[in-house]
Amino acid sequence: MGQFIQFALNGLLAGTIYSLIAVGIVSVYKATRVVNFAHGYLIMFGAYFYYTFAVLLPGLEWAPGWLAKWEPSWLLAARAEAEMFSPRATVLDWLSNLPRIVLGILGSILACAVLGRVIERALMRPMIGQSAFAMIMITVGLVSVLSGAKGLIWTADAAFVPHIAPNAPIRFELFGSMVFLFGADLVNAAIAVILFSGIVLWVRYSRGGVAIRATAEDQQTAYSMGISVPAVFGHAWVLAATTGAIAGAILATRNGVSPSLGLFGFSVLAIVLMGGLDSYVGVFIAALAVGVLEAMAQWQLGGEWAEVVPYIAVLVVILIRPHGLLGQKEVERI
Amino acid sequence: MINGNLKASYAADERILDNPYRRGFVFGAAALAAALPFVANDYIILVAAQMGIMLIAVIGLNVVIGYTGLLSLGHAAFIAIGAYAVPLLHRLFAAWGLPEGVMPLLAIPLAVAVAALVGLVVGLPSLRVKGLYLAVATLSANFIVIFLIELDAMAPFTGGFNGINTPEANILGWRLDSQREMFALIAGLGFATILLVQNLFRTRVGRAFIAIRERDYSAEVLGISLLRYKLLSFAVSAACCGLAGALFAYFYARILPEQFELALSLQLVAALIVGGMGRTMGPVFGVVIIVMVPELLKYSFGAIAGGSADVAALRAPVQEIVFGALIILFLMFEPLGIAQIVDRWLRSLNRWPFARG
Amino acid sequence: MLEVRDLHLSFGGIKALQGVGFTARAGEITGVIGPNGAGKTSLFNAISGFYAPSRGQVLLDGEDITKAPPDRRAALGIARTFQNIALFRGMTVLDNIKLGGHTRLRSGIWSALGYFGTAQREELAFRAEIEERVIDFLEIDHIRKLPITMLPYGLQKRVELARALAMRPKVLLLDEPVAGMNREETGDMARFILDVQQEFGTTILLVEHDMHMVMDICARIVVLNFGHQIAEGSPAEVSATPAVIEAYLGQAV
Repeated sequence: MGQFIQFALNGLLAGTIYSLIAVGIVSVYKATRVVNFAHGYLIMFGAYFYYTFAVLLPGLEWAPGWLAKWEPSWLLAARAEAEMFSPRATVLDWLSNLPRIVLGILGSILACAVLGRVIERALMRPMIGQSAFAMIMITVGLVSVLSGAKGLIWTADAAFVPHIAPNAPIRFELFGSMVFLFGADLVNAAIAVILFSGIVLWVRYSRGGVAIRATAEDQQTAYSMGISVPAVFGHAWVLAATTGAIAGAILATRNGVSPSLGLFGFSVLAIVLMGGLDSYVGVFIAALAVGVLEAMAQWQLGGEWAEVVPYIAVLVVILIRPHGLLGQKEVERI
Repeated sequence: MINGNLKASYAADERILDNPYRRGFVFGAAALAAALPFVANDYIILVAAQMGIMLIAVIGLNVVIGYTGLLSLGHAAFIAIGAYAVPLLHRLFAAWGLPEGVMPLLAIPLAVAVAALVGLVVGLPSLRVKGLYLAVATLSANFIVIFLIELDAMAPFTGGFNGINTPEANILGWRLDSQREMFALIAGLGFATILLVQNLFRTRVGRAFIAIRERDYSAEVLGISLLRYKLLSFAVSAACCGLAGALFAYFYARILPEQFELALSLQLVAALIVGGMGRTMGPVFGVVIIVMVPELLKYSFGAIAGGSADVAALRAPVQEIVFGALIILFLMFEPLGIAQIVDRWLRSLNRWPFARG
Repeated sequence: MLEVRDLHLSFGGIKALQGVGFTARAGEITGVIGPNGAGKTSLFNAISGFYAPSRGQVLLDGEDITKAPPDRRAALGIARTFQNIALFRGMTVLDNIKLGGHTRLRSGIWSALGYFGTAQREELAFRAEIEERVIDFLEIDHIRKLPITMLPYGLQKRVELARALAMRPKVLLLDEPVAGMNREETGDMARFILDVQQEFGTTILLVEHDMHMVMDICARIVVLNFGHQIAEGSPAEVSATPAVIEAYLGQAV
């Protein structure tokens, strides 16, 4: 039972990260009816950008010393007093990394936003009005391009990056058994949930969000009602890219930066279809469910099984409920 | 449509090679393939054999994507199944004490049949969902098949991550132990595949596929069972990929699971898009491009890099970028692929010097 | 003979059909008329099997086909055309018409792969048949090799009729066969429909807004209004029914 709760919690925390990745796919789909197969590779770029701004850049010779390690005298003093591996010590360690973490996240968001914008302008906007098939296949081509571009730009594999939050181990009792979690994981999950709900609220209530929903409903009508469809496309892609940057940074701290991060996009795509492409709530539920299922598979069957869980789950769900858990069935007019 | 191409009977009108360009091309290609084993050097044979294997797979993909309009991003899984079936069947036949000379004659059709059966299973979601869901379902199937091959529990059969040695083909005592001889087999089966699939598209079966692509409810009203024909299309295309896989296994001495990952599926799709979806010649043009790109890159990197390992390491990513860029550029500027460009040339050639365009 | 009994059909809260029942007699042309939104196309969709009625039955020659899927109904002999032309736009006229023969041809996957032999014999015999029975009959021999996208609207409608005829249907459902046509094209189409009925003895059910044509060529007429069947009978009887005049013709006459 104790093991079960531990793995279930781990799974839920991982699930929130999936939901943060998924929100990018769903938002682009809602606005443009394009399923972005390359989203995972955007996220991989987010992770590498974070690595660049938080590790490579501060490590350069001309970079100021405080960027790589911020050590004002009071921090050093406090650090000397703190016990090794105590929560206090991890917080202080985090503080001295804070400048490069902030630079990493800001840099990653900015760079990803630019990348998303460029992709949208160069590849998506010229295709407005073309078949959805062509646009989707373009994102498939983009998978290859981004994956190759990564290989040209960053040659180093699997590198270490600083955690976004203090990574203090936390122990507490839940349902009568001891549970062991890391502080950074909790903060990551909180960031993911806050961003996810923020985006859902934004799409539901803001002007820009209503424009996105109107465009999703009917591009031509939206256009003729004075909504700039190209602008909506642009917003959706930048939104996806920035959330992708944050998700990428989080994934980089959890799994290290490596080319295999791109594959997360495909498992999250499976999650998105499970939830129902156009339903934020359904996707959130699916993301948590897959997170927990993965953790259970890891516990009961071994680590390698975890990676196929989303793919098996999506096949089962599609066969039972073709439009996902909460997706809308499109009624065809004949 | 070619002008001035008149027929005197319905039979003549229903022929596949219904104009001189097609006849010239097909007979020319057949003659070239027949001559190649006698005149070409080893390198050309290797490239040509790779093209042949790839072509058989892309023809299959064309059936499901190009003609039936069902998007699949997981056809490498069927190639994997065809390829792994060969060493496994050989082992089984050896246990039964079958003579070596008949093994390929049984193993190839069985590999094709197994791939087709798996194709039926993977095609099941296509009945309930359209387009994209199917793309993700097939993608998932690709991941699952590779996962099962790599699984520790399967390692005694598949060799796991390390791959498995494959037997050489021995057809009734003719040992195909050189790539030259294997090329002859690949070319023969390649032409047979093209012919069989072409035949399909001049009967009700192939027309039903196209009808489903164009407008599925209209196809239903004409009595076409979507269930039956979507599955059939998946099975036919998986069978082609199974054949390609079996030949792949005989051609190379060893197969590895990583050769059949998503990257291969995307390569097949790239070949189809570049060549022309739903066109007879599409796979042919596409495969030539997709196989030649890495060879040209190899050649030019060799020239630039000399012996430098740093520059040589950049070849793989550059190749990926080129494949992706080909998909994107063709979709944006010539969605009907090279087949369409060639058609345009032939049309204007046929009218020359009386009219242009 | 096609019979519809007490058909009810609803989408969520909207009741598209409420108790529609009539018989399209063998070898006759039956018209279905009614104002926009009366449920005419819904009725066709229920007959060809796209919508499942919540109550009632559809019978073909006395056999209950209410539960049969669309492709099964086609095999049993129901053909139809669509209000907004559902041809296969990427194919030629000839290939579209050949698709009409799907249920009548027999070759399966194996003989199709082999082609030479049974499949070839069957295909060539079928080709000869549609050339004579359909292409010459509807006077579209000059366009048989053209892709659908190159044809004007009126000809597309005719090709769709040709495709339905290639099925040699027992019952032919025509959904607004002359909508959007000028007077001359309408006259041509009316003539073709009458020819089909006389030449092949096909039972025809047609939905149409063009009153002149309906009154001219239909033996019997069914009138729908807001999902209810308000009249059934010969053109003369129907146009004399007060409910019809009120609901429909009232404004026109």
